[in-house]
Amino acid sequence: MDQKIIKVEHLSVHYNGRTILNDLNFSIKKGEIVAVVGPNGSGKTTLIHAILGLIPYRGNILVDQEPVQKVFGRIGYVPQRFVFDRTVPMTVGEFLKLAFKKINQRQLRRVLLEVDMIAHEEASIGTLSGGQLQRVLIARALLSNPTLLLLDEAMSEIDIAGEKSFYDIIKHLNRIHQTTVVMVSHEINMVYKFADQIICLNHDIICYGKPKDAITKEVLEKLYGQEVKFQEHQH
Amino acid sequence: MLELFHYPFMQRAFFGGVFLSALLAYLGVFVVMRRMAFFSDGIAHASLAGVAAGVLLSFNPLVTALIASLIFAALIFFLEKKTNLSSDTAIGLIFTSGMALGVLLISLKSGYQPELIGFLFGNILTIQHSDLIIMVALSVAIGGFLIAMRRQITLLALDREMAHLSGINADLFQLLMHMILAVSVVLGIKMLGIILVSALLIIPVSIAKLTSRSFRALVFWSIVVSEIIVLAGLLVSYFLDLPAGATIVLTGTAVFFIVFIFKRAFQT
Repeated sequence: MDQKIIKVEHLSVHYNGRTILNDLNFSIKKGEIVAVVGPNGSGKTTLIHAILGLIPYRGNILVDQEPVQKVFGRIGYVPQRFVFDRTVPMTVGEFLKLAFKKINQRQLRRVLLEVDMIAHEEASIGTLSGGQLQRVLIARALLSNPTLLLLDEAMSEIDIAGEKSFYDIIKHLNRIHQTTVVMVSHEINMVYKFADQIICLNHDIICYGKPKDAITKEVLEKLYGQEVKFQEHQH
Repeated sequence: MLELFHYPFMQRAFFGGVFLSALLAYLGVFVVMRRMAFFSDGIAHASLAGVAAGVLLSFNPLVTALIASLIFAALIFFLEKKTNLSSDTAIGLIFTSGMALGVLLISLKSGYQPELIGFLFGNILTIQHSDLIIMVALSVAIGGFLIAMRRQITLLALDREMAHLSGINADLFQLLMHMILAVSVVLGIKMLGIILVSALLIIPVSIAKLTSRSFRALVFWSIVVSEIIVLAGLLVSYFLDLPAGATIVLTGTAVFFIVFIFKRAFQT
């Protein structure tokens, strides 16, 4: 039997009288890469924040069969934007050591090697490019050996070349560590290539399944409107 | 020069200065990271209500100012959390209301109040024995807490969301930081006065930022620079018969520009 790492039942989020998420029901299997796609304001980030317990919601969310607060240590999270004072001098090594109480140099170097940032251990985090910073954030997420990695449009500040290597790192982590990855993305092409499952979200779940089965002309029109052109991939 | 330390008032000023400058410099790192300079300024000004209450009730104004600052810090935290007011608006509300209350209370007592002038502009040389005990005890207690909780506090100052995901109770730590900052600022008022106390939170870390390449270095140099500024300012004010608080602040400003110019010259 497939083990479920996330189980969402009747999830609803309302804010200032508006419905952001409307009675969502889905589950995610262990070891999958799942992409959440949808237009701006469709509730993608809200869904991630609800899974992380960062916002109040109605319904049930279980991570590894437990409430999220009990499994924080097993979840890695890379936010859409990491806004901090870039003028504060703090090395990459110092930043990573803040993540947990006891982190030794071997663990630190291991995660930096995995994201190809070992040469930047002594660099100030304020001087890193968008792509480098996202890699450091992944390294930070990996320090806990997470069973679940949540990426909230983590590629938004990376150029196209950087985006490709970012996805390669994610794929590598998924393969080597069997880490389940849930990533919010607006890059449908990349989703086709890297995701095992896709959730199309526009306050409700519009589609759910394997990308080539789930993404249809009708689904894209429901998500992004009539002006979106659909071109089927030939794999 | 050493003979000046034979005077008890100078010994108290020295010990008070050493402990408080270290505490304010360390806190200043987090104040700058969290952009809380206006909060510290607001609390300092609002604490006038506590000082005035102490003068009116013939009680140690430092103690009443500490109590008032804790109440105001909690009020600001409450307004930030429970209303849609922005942080600076909430601080501004308490800042002006506290000062207004202070002015009102002062008006109830007739005659010249030298203690009030001392709190407005500060005078490290007038620190009493009871003040010194309060200063050292609270500085050690707060400093110990900050060192023990440095990972949580640094993470919170860097990013609240990440702090939450690291299992830190972000709201509780935020409230504690408000309280700690309020108490520390009021302790510093005796040294620099309501108007100038924020300088010791801002200037040392500003100087340290010019030269530090790591967070550890930033904290270390902030504290070292703060000690140098306070002690040098104290000596200059003594020998030139200048107001101590203002001299300490201007010594810090001078050090900042000297380091800045040297850094620019060295880089080019």
